[in-house]
Amino acid sequence: MVKYVIKRILLMLMVFMIIISMCFVLVKLLPNKPAEQFGKDMAVIEMRRELLGYNKPIIEQYWIFIQRSLIGGDWGISETLYIGQDVWEKFMEKMPATITVNVYTMLFAVPIGLALGIYAALKKNKWQDHVISTGVMIFVSVPSYVYAFLVQYFLCFKLKWFPFQMAAGYDYLSWETFVSLVPAIISLGFGTVAGLARYTRAELTEVLTSDYLLLARTKGLSRAQTTVRHALRNSMVPIFPMILGEFIGIIGGSLIIEQIFGIPGVGPLYIASITAATPDYNFFMLLSAFYTLVGLSSGILVDLSYGFIDPRIRMGSKK
Amino acid sequence: MNKKLSIVLAIVAVVAIVFSVVFGVQKADLEKQVAELTAKIDTLNAELTTVKADLAAAKSEAEKAEADRLATEEALKSLETYTVNYALSTFPTLWNIHDYETATDAEIADWITAGFYSFDYNETFDGYKMVPAVAAEFPVDVTADYVGEQWGIKEGDTARAWKIQLRQDLKWQDGTAITAHDFEESYKLLINPKAANYRADGLWSGNMVITNSEAYYKAGQEADTMMGTYMGLEGTEDAAAFVEAHKDDKGYINWNYSFGDTYDFETKAWTGAAEDAIVETPLTFGELYEFYTKGEGKAYATWASEADMIDWALEELYLKYTYAEMAWENVGVKALDDYNLVFIIDKPLEGFYLHYSLTSNYLVNLDMYNACATETDGVYTNTYGTKAENTMSYGPYMLTNFQSDKMFTLEKNPYWYGWNDEANKGLYQATTIRYDYVAEPSTRLEMFLNGQLDSYGLQKEDMEEYAMSDYTYYSEGDSIFAMVFNPEMAALTTAQQNAGENKNKTILTVKEFRMAMAMAMNRAEFCLATSPTNKPGFALYSSQIIADPENGIPYRATDLAKQVIVDFWALSDEIGEGKMYATVDEAIESISGYNLEMARVYFDQAYEIAIKDGLMDEDDVIEITVGTPNLTSSFYNNGYDYIVNNYTEAVKGTKLEGKLTFTRDGTLGNAFSDALQNNQVDMLFGVGWTGSTFDPYGLFQVYVDPNYQYDSHWDATAVTLDIELNGTVYTATARAWYDSMQGTGTEIDATANGEEVKVSLDGTEQKMIVLAALENAVLQNYNYIPLMGDSSASLKGMQIKFFTEDEVFPMGRGGVKYMTFNYTDREWDEYVASQGGTLNYK
Repeated sequence: MVKYVIKRILLMLMVFMIIISMCFVLVKLLPNKPAEQFGKDMAVIEMRRELLGYNKPIIEQYWIFIQRSLIGGDWGISETLYIGQDVWEKFMEKMPATITVNVYTMLFAVPIGLALGIYAALKKNKWQDHVISTGVMIFVSVPSYVYAFLVQYFLCFKLKWFPFQMAAGYDYLSWETFVSLVPAIISLGFGTVAGLARYTRAELTEVLTSDYLLLARTKGLSRAQTTVRHALRNSMVPIFPMILGEFIGIIGGSLIIEQIFGIPGVGPLYIASITAATPDYNFFMLLSAFYTLVGLSSGILVDLSYGFIDPRIRMGSKK
Repeated sequence: MNKKLSIVLAIVAVVAIVFSVVFGVQKADLEKQVAELTAKIDTLNAELTTVKADLAAAKSEAEKAEADRLATEEALKSLETYTVNYALSTFPTLWNIHDYETATDAEIADWITAGFYSFDYNETFDGYKMVPAVAAEFPVDVTADYVGEQWGIKEGDTARAWKIQLRQDLKWQDGTAITAHDFEESYKLLINPKAANYRADGLWSGNMVITNSEAYYKAGQEADTMMGTYMGLEGTEDAAAFVEAHKDDKGYINWNYSFGDTYDFETKAWTGAAEDAIVETPLTFGELYEFYTKGEGKAYATWASEADMIDWALEELYLKYTYAEMAWENVGVKALDDYNLVFIIDKPLEGFYLHYSLTSNYLVNLDMYNACATETDGVYTNTYGTKAENTMSYGPYMLTNFQSDKMFTLEKNPYWYGWNDEANKGLYQATTIRYDYVAEPSTRLEMFLNGQLDSYGLQKEDMEEYAMSDYTYYSEGDSIFAMVFNPEMAALTTAQQNAGENKNKTILTVKEFRMAMAMAMNRAEFCLATSPTNKPGFALYSSQIIADPENGIPYRATDLAKQVIVDFWALSDEIGEGKMYATVDEAIESISGYNLEMARVYFDQAYEIAIKDGLMDEDDVIEITVGTPNLTSSFYNNGYDYIVNNYTEAVKGTKLEGKLTFTRDGTLGNAFSDALQNNQVDMLFGVGWTGSTFDPYGLFQVYVDPNYQYDSHWDATAVTLDIELNGTVYTATARAWYDSMQGTGTEIDATANGEEVKVSLDGTEQKMIVLAALENAVLQNYNYIPLMGDSSASLKGMQIKFFTEDEVFPMGRGGVKYMTFNYTDREWDEYVASQGGTLNYK
């Protein structure tokens, strides 16, 4: 197991370096010409770019990046999005808002998704199952920003139950913040609820019709006992990694939802760093490195989690 | 008798006794009663006095109560808040006055800083005037005090050094006093070479060039420098001597200016379209100068004389110039004492333009600024003005709360000098200004309708509902955006070959084709399709451009400028008695910028010319490549779609029917503005320039300088214009005429009556004549065609009231300074609730 983990980590680092190197080269290939401005001495801009090392050979820039950022942990300053500000500090300043809204969403969506999935599986092919399945299809098919606008229109504008935007300030755990986040939580949660419900229903339906459950029932276990002790536990093998994946994915944020509900999170950063008039190299590289690392790590974590949920699954075992 | 008498006397005596007894008793009674009455009166008097005293006390208490009530009311009133709420779709990130870049950043900077001078309404509230702000009074010319080599000022020079007396009550928001020394030190920090501040060139790029500021900033730097500029830096006017002195230096050139073609020194051949860039050549500067003025360069430029080439070399040939070290003592910013500051400038500047150049300044809080500075491996950064804690105000409001990409609030700065001014009494009613970052327009509208915002910028989709609302206010911008065509034969020929068989682009060189394109554009519909608040544009300059700033006269309001419009739209012959239009104004009013009938005539003519001149075959299809910065902007996406549909329809029924097609390059990014110059595309749209509202003469550089021209193929150094001044017709190049408008009394080379003469302009009126002639020349070329004016529309909330209903440039409608409130915040909440929580603005 330990060997397996070490091997996976080494492979992960190799893949990480390849991805990061490609990102570095590709972002440097993007056009990066300051816009001409009437009456502006462009030499001032050129001078700053010179000081920041824009004119150094790309291989030298890459070496500086490896040394200073990857090894030294100094990701530099933002040159377009938050001029002159430390990109890591800025990223960390914005991360809590993203995490808050997404954790709330998971807390809301996971139990409901699981409950609906279980209920639909238990009521398979009955009207309750049809209602849930129809709802699931709708919420899986429609993008979250569509609900977001509808939720905002009805709950915030028409009924005035909630504020339009997330409450200002850094007290992310306050009641006021929570209330202000409800529309965003609902909008973000619909998709997760639907996905989980559908997956749980499918897994549980399959397990519930298996022979060993029939045997358990014939041995005298009640339906509740067979469902909770045996069926649900076995169907969790593929569902739990899915939930884990969702939790890890939350730090990516949501570009549209964050914009609609005024959540000052990291959602829009990645796209903004390359669609800005001139690319924000440092922000792009930090975000690329961060999300690549998170993505690769979560892959390992998910794989390892199978073994914890079901001890029969043994990672790295030769037999 | 005696007995009788005795009896009588006795009776009398008895009577007398009785009387006396009775009267005595009565008297005593009376006296008693009097005494009693007197006592009563005294008691009553005492009571009266008491009552009076009580009444007086009661009265005084009532008065006191009334006074207390009034005081309480007043106190309550002072506790009432007036918050103006705005939403932003982009959010400020840096408002350090030395380094901020965007207009969004200025949303904060504008409130926390102040200029030496500022604009205000004039006395009749229909125009503007300049008033001192941070300065105590208008500047005083102290040029005579700075005569000498150090500043390059000669005896008799004027308007080269100005003393500004500062107010003595200038303070930071924490109460710390501000002195002239703080200003001087702040200016020094601005041009700190290590900092490479974005706004550093503010000291030398505008009208007011602070002596040696550029040299101080660029000390030790090696920069590509135009030959002409280099000569200026060395103080020489003799080009031959300069070339001799620098003949062994490396030679650099920008091929794009005169040639539009690149020469390969190895193969000794011209190799095709050139980019707008300064490139190194394998020649020394001496060899390059020879090549340019006499060799292959001169041979290529058949249209130019050797004298022209010698002249043009000043702007097209480059050398590396290394700026020498410059001591701060030699920079023209001096604090004389705590309250007097002197600016020494390179070129004379006075009047409006001097005051206008001083409407901003670069003061920073030195302690905080220095504490925010860091330097890592030679890279300097400064976080001053990035959050509330790193911000210090000396303006009317101070930043009290800032959350990145969320919101910020500004509240009144108790130490602002302006509160001491009588002129500001009753102004600045807003106690708080709040900005929220709300990215989605639909959310902004919903918040506005629910009373949470005081202004909402209308979007395309809102116009149907709110265009005619009483709460909708329109504002005209200062820019006219254009569509620009590439008429360069060599470049079009190359692009045509690359486009493939039976594709044609060279028809763009036919002026009639470009005229047809100009007239076939339905500008009103284009605006509706792209940005309905915009309005069709008919000339280079909008009505917001001021030609005579001293008197506030807009350029477009002058007869000269009106004539340019009617000439361009071919209405000159239709004006006069018995003609289609009685007056020029009437003719201008009729212009829509869309004449399909005439356009179709020109399309046919263009086709025939193209066929006749061998530019096009009958089975060719015209393919125009349109450049846009990206593929995501709805303006460019809708605009491109509209252009394709509009012109496809427009050529129907002409010989070009089915032969006019478009392709799009939407990957240009910031290089978009240079794409036409670099021959990457054949057409751009929605391009233009903003700024320099008060200096249309300087702004014209964008039409004559290849550094700025979208279409640099119109060579302003080769085109000559005849302009009549004081009864004499002078002929000079467009570039020379542009030069004549700069500064005061600038002499240019011209010809008059067949003789070479020097000519200079005598005041603003003559500058306007030249400006109109130049505008006409650019328009008549039909490469740069006005398309739409930059206007906007917004809804005003019911809580606030503008000072003037009409927009008064540059005061707008009074802004927050003059804004008044119909409701306090508390009353507003109650009012919105009473309306069911949603307000009707239709």
